Amino acid sequence: MDKTNRMSCRPVIKIKPTTLLLSFFLLISNLLTVSYAKESLTLIKQNPAAPDFNLPDMDGEMFSLSSYKGKTVIINFWATWCPPCREELPSMNRAWQKIKDENISMIAINVGEDEDTIFSFMGDYPIDFQVLLDQSGEVINKWPIKGLPTTFVLDPKGQLYYRAIGGREWDSESLLNLVRAIQK
Amino acid sequence: MFLIKPFFTFLLICISTQSVALVEKTVDSETLLKSWKLTEAPFSLELIQRLPDQTRAFFQARGFSSDIANNIATQCVLQTIGKNTSKTPQSKSITYDLHEWKIHINAKAQSIKFKELWDKEWTEDVVTTASRIAFRWATFPTQQSFDPGGDFNWGMISFGLPPGSTFDLEVLWKHNNQTHSQWIKQIECPADQ
Repeated sequence: MDKTNRMSCRPVIKIKPTTLLLSFFLLISNLLTVSYAKESLTLIKQNPAAPDFNLPDMDGEMFSLSSYKGKTVIINFWATWCPPCREELPSMNRAWQKIKDENISMIAINVGEDEDTIFSFMGDYPIDFQVLLDQSGEVINKWPIKGLPTTFVLDPKGQLYYRAIGGREWDSESLLNLVRAIQK
Repeated sequence: MFLIKPFFTFLLICISTQSVALVEKTVDSETLLKSWKLTEAPFSLELIQRLPDQTRAFFQARGFSSDIANNIATQCVLQTIGKNTSKTPQSKSITYDLHEWKIHINAKAQSIKFKELWDKEWTEDVVTTASRIAFRWATFPTQQSFDPGGDFNWGMISFGLPPGSTFDLEVLWKHNNQTHSQWIKQIECPADQ
């Protein structure tokens, strides 16, 4: 079989223009999905002032929210028994390593549990940023929260700026850039 | 002109797939627990069986007496996960109110046993504040609003039915100023083994 014959045995693939068009739209649709397929934060309208609190840390030292004025603050409400909290906290800890030198604070407010429970939990899920204890649940009752985890980002004036219900991958650059942009 | 017809057909397929509801039942191969997942973009709701023993243990570990923990555990408690699956910033939020959901069992309609009803049953000397806090936050919110970009909640719902019951649930939610309603049929409360 000579070269010419071999070439003629190859199947010829004919692509209809309609198939090409459909493929094009599928490709565009996939690209759009990818570009939007990232987590985000809800912008809070009118930016109400965050309810103040005065809560103890693991050693009993008291911290008030007003002492964080002038900084962007990420405040996460959580509990050790809450599965999405357990999933989210490691990403918050990684995020903290990225932002701790950027005039941004991060606080994890545990709801309803004691020091021993939290201390034991932190053996498996290390938290290097500020942990405060709302054992009586009085603080969470004053915040606009219906489920755990819920996280707020406060602007340097102490106003509620962003909200996230349920967990997020906090160390993703797209989320952290939203937080960083508040300061500018 | 030959391109217009397939283009609109394609567009129609895209639009129709956006609003098709799907209820999928699965059985976990390891635990054998069943779950039901309702998906109607951008809303998804998953109900997962919890063995009464799991629920008993959870609430006893949070200070509830064995009697009360048993009472909660034997009223068909299912783990519930509600989500707004849209990642498109322009999309609208999803809201729901459990007061609007209906349980149908043996041709009768009844409501969910809300967390607020449980709380009213307990006096301060029987259930401590710490236990109430755990119960309140471990249960699925009675009303909630999920925004696009990743909002979701986990939590238990008590359906107020005995172990082994089978029921249908009408789920209602609002999205884009429209009320949506779908049935999840033949939900099984796990037996108390």
